[in-house]
Amino acid sequence: MAIVVKLDDLLHDRRMTLTELGQRIDITLANLSILKTGKARAIRFSTLEAICQALACQPGDLLRFEPEKET
Amino acid sequence: MPRSSSAALPTAHVVLRILIVLNWLYGAAVLTLLTAMIVAEQWTFKALGITPSSGISSMITGLRLIAALGLLAVPLYHAIFKRLFAMVETVRGGDPFVAANADRLQAIARALLALQVLSMVIGGIAKAISTPQHPLHLDAGFSTSGWLAVILTFVLARVFTAGTLMREELEGTV
Repeated sequence: MAIVVKLDDLLHDRRMTLTELGQRIDITLANLSILKTGKARAIRFSTLEAICQALACQPGDLLRFEPEKET
Repeated sequence: MPRSSSAALPTAHVVLRILIVLNWLYGAAVLTLLTAMIVAEQWTFKALGITPSSGISSMITGLRLIAALGLLAVPLYHAIFKRLFAMVETVRGGDPFVAANADRLQAIARALLALQVLSMVIGGIAKAISTPQHPLHLDAGFSTSGWLAVILTFVLARVFTAGTLMREELEGTV
């Protein structure tokens, strides 16, 4: 997918684990893993808001558009 | 789960199993009749109460054709019952909103359409070969409810396909 989730980088910068984030925003570790590994098809505004609040970041810090290379 | 729906699924499971067997028995009966109409022509038509008269040859041909077309209904009904059975099983398993069920519903709709066309052809033949001496009353021909069922099933199949896609989207939503 052309949308890349940079959750791993953000967590690393904030010295926070995925489990801690999950506990703070009340989202299961399984769902956060799906998001982190780029397997999610969509993200709810409420999830985005919660992550941005917990990590003190903007949506643009979490998501990046990288055009797929044509094969 | 309401009591009525909890009883409906096991009932549907049993009824569909019975219908699958009955359908094959019906097929065997029609095949026997068709064979008898070819091998023991005179005996069979005498047993059916058809006496030799003018225009009897066209009636014999027509009846053979009806029996042969009746055989075509067996695999069509089997396709419907088999897919319906598989759908009931997915409901019992607690996961009915899958792409396979949307495909099954689409296949059922196509089979229902083919059965309606078959029924109209058989009805047409029956009307053509029926005579005042040997009136032929077959439960075949155009059926408003039958065609409505075809349209309804096609629409439901589309609804199911859209619903399944929506569910898949939702499953990937975090």
